[in-house]
Amino acid sequence: MLEVSGLTKVFPGRKPVTAVNGITFKVDAGEVVGLLGPNGAGKTTTIKCILGLVRPTAGQVSINGFDQRTHYRQLLRQVAAVLEGSRNIYWRLTVMENVLLFAGLHGISRREARPYAEHLLESFHLMERKDAEVRSLSSGMKQKTAVACALAKRTPLVFLDEPTVGLDVETSYDLRRVLRDLAAGEGRTFVISSHDMHVIQDVCGRVVIISGGRIIANNTVEDLLSLFRTRSYNFTLAGTLDGTLTEGLARAFPQATVAARGGQTLVTARLSHGGQLYELIDVLRLSGAVIESVSQVEPDLERAYLELVRQGRETA
Amino acid sequence: MRLAPVFAAVTRRTFVMFKSYSFNSISSLVTMYLVFCLMFFGAKAIGGPVLSSAQTLEAMVVGYFVWLLAVYSYSDLSWDITNEAQVGTLEQLYLSPVGYKWISCFVLVSNAILVYSLNIVFLLLMMVTTGKFLRLDLISLVPILVITVAGVYGIGYMLGGLALVYKRIQAFFQVMQFVLVAFLLAPVDRYVWAKLLPLAMGNHLAAEVMVRGKHLWQLPPADLLYLTASSAFYLALGLAVFTRCEKAAKKVGLLGQY
Repeated sequence: MLEVSGLTKVFPGRKPVTAVNGITFKVDAGEVVGLLGPNGAGKTTTIKCILGLVRPTAGQVSINGFDQRTHYRQLLRQVAAVLEGSRNIYWRLTVMENVLLFAGLHGISRREARPYAEHLLESFHLMERKDAEVRSLSSGMKQKTAVACALAKRTPLVFLDEPTVGLDVETSYDLRRVLRDLAAGEGRTFVISSHDMHVIQDVCGRVVIISGGRIIANNTVEDLLSLFRTRSYNFTLAGTLDGTLTEGLARAFPQATVAARGGQTLVTARLSHGGQLYELIDVLRLSGAVIESVSQVEPDLERAYLELVRQGRETA
Repeated sequence: MRLAPVFAAVTRRTFVMFKSYSFNSISSLVTMYLVFCLMFFGAKAIGGPVLSSAQTLEAMVVGYFVWLLAVYSYSDLSWDITNEAQVGTLEQLYLSPVGYKWISCFVLVSNAILVYSLNIVFLLLMMVTTGKFLRLDLISLVPILVITVAGVYGIGYMLGGLALVYKRIQAFFQVMQFVLVAFLLAPVDRYVWAKLLPLAMGNHLAAEVMVRGKHLWQLPPADLLYLTASSAFYLALGLAVFTRCEKAAKKVGLLGQY
């Protein structure tokens, strides 16, 4: 579907700035890939280089076999994008006029575009406001209209740059639901750039992390999480803090933390190997603690991402 | 790629936007009309017998009409680019598989349909106001005006290209309006170089049709050739400058910036 090879962008000037530095990755048809990275990492420049809105200094881009340099028009037929959220649409036009306009810009007549446009507006709960001017809508509705405009082009590949920025929880969830449905139901391919880890973790199957213009990780969400899965456990004990327990833990597990929570005690310990779990339980048993629950601390994408970016900066 | 749906989409957008901003559009025409009245009656009052002669005043009506068409034509694209970049939709237009040059062409045509219709009304109004009823031989007039305006669109593309790179070029617009007046007044019957200026030959030939009642086939073929060649040159030059500016804007990543 999408192949990016050695993509490099150096912005000219007295002090040239290398925004993207030899990025190479592939996205298969039907995949939903997240593009993560800190501010200024080169995510948006990468997307704009792929779309040809910014001329790459070096590298190759092809979408569905159409090379950007030799078949740019054909490449554009394969792709749609939301780049600046609701700024990408016409606020003086109505919701439906916008959706039909952007379909029209992709060569789809109003008659052909209307049924799918209505389907999209239904999915985004915008049908009741279809005849309202965009400027009169809430920011969440504007954002959803912008995404609907990109989707109405019915391209196999869609780029969404920060699609949930500024959205409330409900609207963000709504958008994620539609994207999941479209990816599953229509087999569309999405590349989503976002700082919102919930969106990435919820919608994307794979994550490409960019830092300093380079790719520092390109893996499935599950594999990335497993890299940071530790043997950390939370024990919830009945009753309040006990001196014997604190001393016992300090001797055997100096890194363990003990905290009072309500009428209970919460012990968190990171173990170096599986056998230590039994030793920890022995310490708790000997101190007379009653274990109410045990759970393994699950890593989240945010922590994994932060750790990877930190490592990336150290090695750069 | 089918062009018809793209043209239909762009035209519909232009019409809806025009309706939405109709107060601004109409008021600019009213202002132009008031300026014309000031010029016309001022010239008649203080210009003396030479300036007040019937043909000179009629030529003034034609000149003002052609100038008005030219002003709208050259500024259309650059205003559109500036506005699209400002609101954030320019990059979306660049993502259309037909290419931005087609989109810009459709923008110009759809705007022309609107503006020229209004300008025809404006011309009728000028004729009623001045009592100078010009000959509106459309078969002769339309080709001359279309070819004349094509050259002006070349200037529009040059300015549009500059707007892509520099974004705010409104100050240049003001200057250009006066430059266009100078082109209109160029002595095409005395100097060959004057025939090659944008607008100059078009204005002269339009006056021949509207004031002196000549038909297209009665106009000197050499003059028609000068008009066509100079317009084609300015249009080609404009497109070349625009393409170069487009490349520069993409190289530095300016399309989405304002």
